[in-house]
Amino acid sequence: MERGDKMKELEEELLEMKNTSELMLDLAYSSLLYHNRDIAEEVFNLEQKVNNLQDSVITKILEDHEEMDPDKNLIFIKMADSIERFADAALDIADVVLRDIDLHPVMKKSLKESDEFMVRKKIKKGSYLDGKTLEESKMATEIGMKVIAIRRGNQWAYGPAKSVKLKHGDLIFARGPLNSESALDKWVG
Amino acid sequence: MVGDNIKRRLKKKGLEEDHGELSYEDTSVRELLTLMKDNSELIADLAYAAIVFENRELAEEVRNLESEMDKMMYQIRLKSMLGARTRESAEQLSGLLQVASAAEQISDAAEDMVKLLYADVDLTPMLPHILSEAEERVYTLKIEQGSDMVGKTLEKLNLESVTGVRVIAIRNKRRWIHGPDGRTTLNANDILIVRTHEKAYEKIWPVAHAEARWKEVIR
Repeated sequence: MERGDKMKELEEELLEMKNTSELMLDLAYSSLLYHNRDIAEEVFNLEQKVNNLQDSVITKILEDHEEMDPDKNLIFIKMADSIERFADAALDIADVVLRDIDLHPVMKKSLKESDEFMVRKKIKKGSYLDGKTLEESKMATEIGMKVIAIRRGNQWAYGPAKSVKLKHGDLIFARGPLNSESALDKWVG
Repeated sequence: MVGDNIKRRLKKKGLEEDHGELSYEDTSVRELLTLMKDNSELIADLAYAAIVFENRELAEEVRNLESEMDKMMYQIRLKSMLGARTRESAEQLSGLLQVASAAEQISDAAEDMVKLLYADVDLTPMLPHILSEAEERVYTLKIEQGSDMVGKTLEKLNLESVTGVRVIAIRNKRRWIHGPDGRTTLNANDILIVRTHEKAYEKIWPVAHAEARWKEVIR
């Protein structure tokens, strides 16, 4: 493999680690709020993914360490380490749901008072969102809502791509500013 | 410092008179957990922003916030222990402490990340380049004299809800404000660190630079 390609791959893997760890944290807090085991289990799966990516980053660096700048290698390894710890922390949060302990009543209240809030909404037939892709919906750019998971029947899509098309009956889990809830209510119903 | 912060947040959320419903300990633990959760999300964004802009002042903010998180962790642990009266409540509180402790771990990892800025290594162009490939990224946004945003609070603008632009920090004449709340007023020459999509950034940029009116751009 060309060195340039390898560098590009390293960069992509680090970025994927970052994106995944952010999704994990959103999912983890959401699993807690809705006491949802499915979402908590996905956090567990994603943690494996982050670990594998970290291994891959380190392996690539070790293979090529003689040709690469040691400072740059150190930066990659340290960044990957911090990101992996973000992912571990998300797993710790989801673990509270997976352990099947009754959640403390204060927990839900705390999460609801947060600046960034989580919502769960069902898309109604013929609503504004029905039939739109996430990109077309402009949810992120116009009302600041980020969809972190979609449930369609028994199927889940976690961290859905912007090309994913929403359908009536979909249950969406999103995070965003509290003031956007009323706008979202209009869009789903 | 932490105490003030919590009091301010309590006031903001109108929770001061809540004693009737919940005991003092409950309210405190609840507020601490909310703050720790919010901070855990903010601190990761601040750390990435510090790296992207190679900005040691932002890195300092990360370090300050991390030490606040340590103090909050201590308080929440103490209050939880005092609050556990039965086995069941101890079990529930252990779950709550696990969440608080995870939030605290995030701040530790964020602090370690910004330590890269203090090591004698050159991060550019590699890391800013990598992080700028993300779909949502951090940008700086300067508020110019004459912009419609000058003199408005974040609450009044409702910035995040109408544009999807989230302000994670503000540098004004005197200091940095991290995780600004709704009452923060924007002034000419403030530099905002925002997290958003490219399209949303392109939309707000001319407004901040007084090249377009707020009303023309925001639906």
